[in-house]
Amino acid sequence: MNKLNSIIRHAFLTFLAIIWLIPIIWLVCTSLSGYPGINISKFFPDTWTLNNYKLLLWDVDTVSQFPRWFMNTLTIAIFSCMISSSFVLMVSYAMSCMRFNMRKPLMNLMVILNLFPGFLSMIAVYFILKSFNLTNSHIGLILIYSGSSGLGYLVAKGFFDTVPVPLREAAKLEGASEAKVFLKIVLPLSRPIIVYTVISSFLAPWMDFIFAKIILNSGISSDWTVSIGLYSMLEKTLINSYFARFCAGGVLISIPISILFIIMQKFYVEGITGGSVKG
Amino acid sequence: MRKKLLTALLSATLIVASLTGCGNKGNDSADTTEKANQTEAASQTETEAPAELENVKLTVWGSEEDQSMLQTMIEGFKEAYADKAVFDISLGVESESTAKDTVLTDIESAADVFAFADDQLNELVSAGALQPISINTDAVIEACGGAESGSVQAATADGTLYAYPMTADNGYFMFYNKEYFSETDVQSFDKMMEVAANAGKKVTMKMDDGWYLYSFFKGAGLNLGLAEDGVNNVCDWNATDGKYSGVDVTEALLNIAKNPGFVSLADEAFVTGVQDGSIIAGVNGTWNATVAKETWGENYAATKLPTYTLAGDQVQMSSFAGYKLIGVNAYSDNAGYAMLLGEWLTNYDNQVLRFETRGLGPANVEAAASESVQSDPAIAALAQQSQYATVQRVGGNYWSPAETFGAIIVAGNEKGTDLQKLVDNMVEGIVAPIQ
Repeated sequence: MNKLNSIIRHAFLTFLAIIWLIPIIWLVCTSLSGYPGINISKFFPDTWTLNNYKLLLWDVDTVSQFPRWFMNTLTIAIFSCMISSSFVLMVSYAMSCMRFNMRKPLMNLMVILNLFPGFLSMIAVYFILKSFNLTNSHIGLILIYSGSSGLGYLVAKGFFDTVPVPLREAAKLEGASEAKVFLKIVLPLSRPIIVYTVISSFLAPWMDFIFAKIILNSGISSDWTVSIGLYSMLEKTLINSYFARFCAGGVLISIPISILFIIMQKFYVEGITGGSVKG
Repeated sequence: MRKKLLTALLSATLIVASLTGCGNKGNDSADTTEKANQTEAASQTETEAPAELENVKLTVWGSEEDQSMLQTMIEGFKEAYADKAVFDISLGVESESTAKDTVLTDIESAADVFAFADDQLNELVSAGALQPISINTDAVIEACGGAESGSVQAATADGTLYAYPMTADNGYFMFYNKEYFSETDVQSFDKMMEVAANAGKKVTMKMDDGWYLYSFFKGAGLNLGLAEDGVNNVCDWNATDGKYSGVDVTEALLNIAKNPGFVSLADEAFVTGVQDGSIIAGVNGTWNATVAKETWGENYAATKLPTYTLAGDQVQMSSFAGYKLIGVNAYSDNAGYAMLLGEWLTNYDNQVLRFETRGLGPANVEAAASESVQSDPAIAALAQQSQYATVQRVGGNYWSPAETFGAIIVAGNEKGTDLQKLVDNMVEGIVAPIQ
């Protein structure tokens, strides 16, 4: 009976896995298609080739400048990731380990603010950046991605709460400052949550389309990020010759993220579960 | 104490930020007057050479595939006006089909000169984004075939020319495989569907799309257009008193939709069908005709839209004529030179160059009359269709009701709704005022 149950369960899970994997397999297959345009009659292409990747990476033209876009996105993502990770960790530390007036109301306010989708403020953010002449610059984008990141402190704060208080008190008695306690005591004990924070703050700029599209509006295509660049290949006049390359771009852009996940997977799971025990 | 200091600092930053914002606005109004002066100045520079060359900074937006060609044209412009000013012209990418949205997001930071599709003209004009063409206007109109020609009409709003006509190939037409159809076959939609059905193939057109649906109703003499406010629609597609009623057209559409030789397909399916051979003729634009041209090779041919059977008569299908235009930003700091550049990008030589490098149909009459242009099947077909076509002037509320209506027709009106009710519903949606 147990065996039957297990078979049914696994069959169901396999079924779900297939459903989830189909779009990804299709993307990979289409990116290997010998035909450059779109063909929806067949799941697998007639001819297989690596040519789309070759064109995308080495044959740069006015429409497709993938290496350039990739570097732009990577630069933006790395800087945003560094800034926002440190914001998140510092805010979480302050909220978890320090005691000050209005701590609770402030925490509540931040959680509520963080519930609003960021792009609600898009127009305002755009004009503020414009008045500082930061539109059409990667610095402007980095500021946007890292600016309000401290609001997402909740999970990391939960994790810091699990660090035993006596450890911090002992350090303080030895004369350590808050900064020292944070850097030397709490952070080394919190590797999982650091990994989680780094990954999630790398992902946001890496995958963002809306803000990049609004801020980078001068039409200079060499400034674009990958998502805008790939999107532009879907123009009705371009799609018949660039669709396979678009898919190849989609596959390539997912590689760094996948590698990051595979390496840090172990910590990642620990980070989320550890952080959510005590909220 | 420290907290108070912080608060003070923060509020100071905010105040400075808001002041900077205001400061910019102040400058803008000054810019506008300056710009107007420059317009005059630029027109004067044509007659008298200035003592000292000024520096002129311009930005241009064009579609991605045109970039290198545009760069050539810009170099030519710099050379031609080298004695007037020193130009710093930067070129950016913005597809003609999305130019309006990007420009209207922030007009001030949009390019000085940009290309766009003619259906966006109205909204750009009502938002005050376009500079009326005030230099050599008559010559521009003349080159495009006079004030009555389609391309000039497409660039005109309220009797004022707002843009330079660039190409005349953004509409749709019928292209077909000569292996199956003779030239007389393609005169009638019924005949085409019959031939296709006999061969086990399909003729296609996207019926659940207002852009194509228009051709049937307009062909029947029913009207759709902009109301006087320039935003809402007027539409009499549910009329019962004219020669043909809305119900007649709906019946004709239902007959086409259920014909075994017809299928309504979206672009991706269209292109796929052309490649696997199941589609042998279809109504679409130049962007997809290229796929048919590659696939069918020698057998590729194009012509005007056929006639269709409406209440027992053969009626010629109408269409939306599509043009691409070059506009000058009303907020441009160098509107005068921007206009000269716009004119340069659309002059005879550059329209010929545009045809030669990219195969785009010229709006310039002289360029369009050349033999090489005439021998291009797609452009010839569009020229043939142009006498039945009208400029696309519809408000935003047209598209969804038309799409819904089209979808019901394609599904064969499964619920058996009364046809008059169907068109009434559609018209009600189309003329509903935009809030």
